[in-house]
Amino acid sequence: MTPQRRIENIALTAITLIAGLIWIFPLYWAFITSIRTESRVVSDSAGLIPDEFSLSSYSDALFNTSLMHWYINSIGTSLIITVIVLITGMMCAYALSQMQFFGRKLLYGVVLASFMVPVQSLVVPQFVLMNDLGLINKWGGIILPQLVVPVVIIIYKQFFDAVPKEMKEAVVLDGGSDYTLLFRVYLPLNWGITTALGIITFIMAWNSFLWPFLVITTEEMMTIPVGITQVNDAFGVAYARIMSVALLAAAPVVIAYLIFQKRVTEAVMISSGVKG
Amino acid sequence: MHFRKIALATALSLSAAIGVATPAFAQQTVTWWDFLSGGDGVRMKALISQFNEEHPDIQVKGTTLEWGVPFYTKVRTSAAVGQGPDVMTYHLSRLPLGLSEGVLTPITDADLENAGLAKADFFPAAEKAAEGPDGTLYAVPFDIHSIVLYYNKSFLEGSRFLDDQGNLTGIESVGDFEEAMQTAADNGAETPLTYATGDDGGVYRVFYTLLAQQGGTLISDDGEILPGDSTEKAIKAVETMTKWQTEGWQPEQALYEASVALFTSGKSAFQLNGVWEVPTMKDLATAGTLGFEWGAVQVPKLMETQTTWADSHAFAIPVHGKDEMDPEKRKAVMTVIGWMEKHSIAWAEAGHIPAYKPVADSAEYAQMQPNATYATLADSATYDPRNDIAGVASPVYDASINILSPAMHGYLTPEDAIAQMKSELESRMR
Amino acid sequence: MAIIRNKRRHGLVALSLILPFLAIFALVFAYPLYEVVRLSFTDAPLIGEGNWIGLDNYVRLFSDRIFYISIKNNAYFVVLTVIPTTLIAMVIALAVNRLSGRWQALALVLFFTPYVLPVSVVTQIWAWMLDFQFGVLQPVFTFFTGKPVPVFKNPYWVLPSIAVVTIWWTNGFNVLLILAGLRNIPTDLYEAAALDGATRRQLFARITWPLLWPVTALVLTLQLILQLKLFDQVYLLSEGGPFNTSYVLLLMVYREAFQLNHGGYAAAISLILFLLIAVVSVLQYQLLRIGRGKDT
Repeated sequence: MTPQRRIENIALTAITLIAGLIWIFPLYWAFITSIRTESRVVSDSAGLIPDEFSLSSYSDALFNTSLMHWYINSIGTSLIITVIVLITGMMCAYALSQMQFFGRKLLYGVVLASFMVPVQSLVVPQFVLMNDLGLINKWGGIILPQLVVPVVIIIYKQFFDAVPKEMKEAVVLDGGSDYTLLFRVYLPLNWGITTALGIITFIMAWNSFLWPFLVITTEEMMTIPVGITQVNDAFGVAYARIMSVALLAAAPVVIAYLIFQKRVTEAVMISSGVKG
Repeated sequence: MHFRKIALATALSLSAAIGVATPAFAQQTVTWWDFLSGGDGVRMKALISQFNEEHPDIQVKGTTLEWGVPFYTKVRTSAAVGQGPDVMTYHLSRLPLGLSEGVLTPITDADLENAGLAKADFFPAAEKAAEGPDGTLYAVPFDIHSIVLYYNKSFLEGSRFLDDQGNLTGIESVGDFEEAMQTAADNGAETPLTYATGDDGGVYRVFYTLLAQQGGTLISDDGEILPGDSTEKAIKAVETMTKWQTEGWQPEQALYEASVALFTSGKSAFQLNGVWEVPTMKDLATAGTLGFEWGAVQVPKLMETQTTWADSHAFAIPVHGKDEMDPEKRKAVMTVIGWMEKHSIAWAEAGHIPAYKPVADSAEYAQMQPNATYATLADSATYDPRNDIAGVASPVYDASINILSPAMHGYLTPEDAIAQMKSELESRMR
Repeated sequence: MAIIRNKRRHGLVALSLILPFLAIFALVFAYPLYEVVRLSFTDAPLIGEGNWIGLDNYVRLFSDRIFYISIKNNAYFVVLTVIPTTLIAMVIALAVNRLSGRWQALALVLFFTPYVLPVSVVTQIWAWMLDFQFGVLQPVFTFFTGKPVPVFKNPYWVLPSIAVVTIWWTNGFNVLLILAGLRNIPTDLYEAAALDGATRRQLFARITWPLLWPVTALVLTLQLILQLKLFDQVYLLSEGGPFNTSYVLLLMVYREAFQLNHGGYAAAISLILFLLIAVVSVLQYQLLRIGRGKDT
């Protein structure tokens, strides 16, 4: 590497990291605000450097809101959504990829088409349906309409398509059924994509706002994104407290991301395999 | 199956025999929704937990939702699907709209009896506002609340606007008020006057007060919008507010929290806001973090007559989809309401005037400060029009934020704004 | 005979594999889609039955001022987000791609973390940063425009500001997609070209850009569909204001159905949104295919 190239690389690294730090500034600022007292937050002298360390707004946030309920609802529903979406998705994708049956092309066409189309435009009849099923204010009501994630089928199918035919033939000669093939061969071969799709589906479910916002009306059934905006226990001026609640709400998944960041990065990258 | 029945019967008779060990009826959980934040919220939570301590058989589970449109949207939707609360706070200004949405259940005489209340216990104006057109009661009034003028004495020190005791004085017209704001600005007030200029409620309350002080009518009893010379009066109200904006006396597009923070952080000399911020001020002063002396008075006579916008908080029981509420539960709910009324002296702490006369007439209330300084307010107040396009989270409030606030901020003229408001509201009447 | 039985068995197995998805799909997608169409011809409230009123909802819709404002805003927001976020993501990905191991991981964490935040956390942080009275970013506005700007209360700033928040929130995902595309480009192509004396600009124009095109097209498509579905950020930051200048179609659906109890009318708006997105994504798909054909 030439010296000029090396200096260039160092400069590039520095610039990129500085840009990254600027990019993350909102989180830094939220944190600084959250550890200040409310009167400090709105005073003119409140600068960019942390100058107070008060955890009172955090204890307020933890003990005076239903944050714990919301964590459980968010994590619970997101996990169930992820598991069901993955299982139904891989089964359907396997059939589409490896089997011949009447209406296969049509089904794949429908899956592709529904990937293009917004589920959000169906909220009115979905809400009526959940009411008919008695699922308003229930986990089931949060979960059901979020179970259609066509992109999972599309990606699984692409990966199943790419599995070499010889592997299949070997199992078929041994008398293995399609279930054996799917769960003993295709799935283990594609653990990477399963983790990837799982992570992405989980983040999507965790972040969804509109649907849980519509279908949940009681405080203890709300999910994190809904609860922190709808339930308002504010005491007059409460910027520090709002930031504390926001950071606590974000904490579990951010921490999980920081621990598994390599996996998450891979997960998103794998999903770029979907052909536009 | 048989075995189960027998077991159940045995269990029941056993518990009946023991009697004391198990209560004769199940514990009732009452789901409660309100929109009370700030000092209001703190007081109400204290009241609820006191109630729960005193009543082992009834437990109130409270949820506080965001005030205004979000609250009333949730109420409407969840009442329609039978997922609403058992009891909720409701603005009486919105009662006609609530009736047209069909979300309220009538409060019968038997209900009132269960609560230990009677219609005659309430201020007549508030009680009337809780009735439908046919005289049926749909809510139980809890308070009368209004806006008052808060002031920060430090900006008025040495001017003609403070008397010897350090109380606000000498504001008898818009001119006086504007002079006071200029004085405060000269004394270093960043934003002399603060109110929520970017929120529906903040804009509406000041607009309606200025309109009412000129004797103007927003919606007449037969449904005419701004009848006769009320149109000019409305224009004048908007012009006044616009002037305050262009002079830089009031904050641009302030949201509610920010508008309060401007006053509490000592950047504003005056605040036009509800009595419900009284406890916020009291708490800050007690904690010693306020940093200035404050006072609150009835909104002065800025136009022709002394009057102020007023509204009432009330309790209401929403419909539960197609289902009827269990009578035992309803009884429990009424017990809660009755208890709240009788303990509303604690609510007066939050600045409000109790709608329940026995409390409002009590000696304890008469001594309460600063409530006493605006005690006459209830007599001279102007309530919202009785119409299903008026009240909190109604087309009138929508017009305040979508038409009046832009006019104040210079996006359209006061004349255009009032014309637009008129046509918008007229289209909603149909 | 055995073959036929086998074939039937094969069909049954296939059916058992697709059935779970199909059942859910029919219940929460196909049936609601049918219902949206049906409801849009009625005056039904949110809960309960309405009367058949033919095309009345559509007639009303096409004379509804807010409807046109919403469509315009949806389009404007797409312009503000789709191409900018793709370009920003590309710049970041190109820069990050040249960093070495540990630094690259760190840079990715910095740029990707916002993506895992729930939308309401994002909006609350930004609402606070841009708060008119106390926002930490207001000095920046003062520097450029001479005075602070209440961005979510100003008709000119509101959608661009929501666009900035949206890009900040979702950009990390696009960075990773493009980075994956960059890594898929065989390095020997660059080496060969470098041996031929190609300049860096030529390398980008001849190798990087064309080979990156499939991923770029993917990002553009995903973004377009995503941004047309805008609701959360607008609802949480501006509620469609000031004076309806940030109204979008989905917000209109919400308001009509859940605030005003006009289920039938809301269904009509939903159907328009549905068709709009379907048409736009098919069009874009075709356009991008042509684009790709030309470049490679």
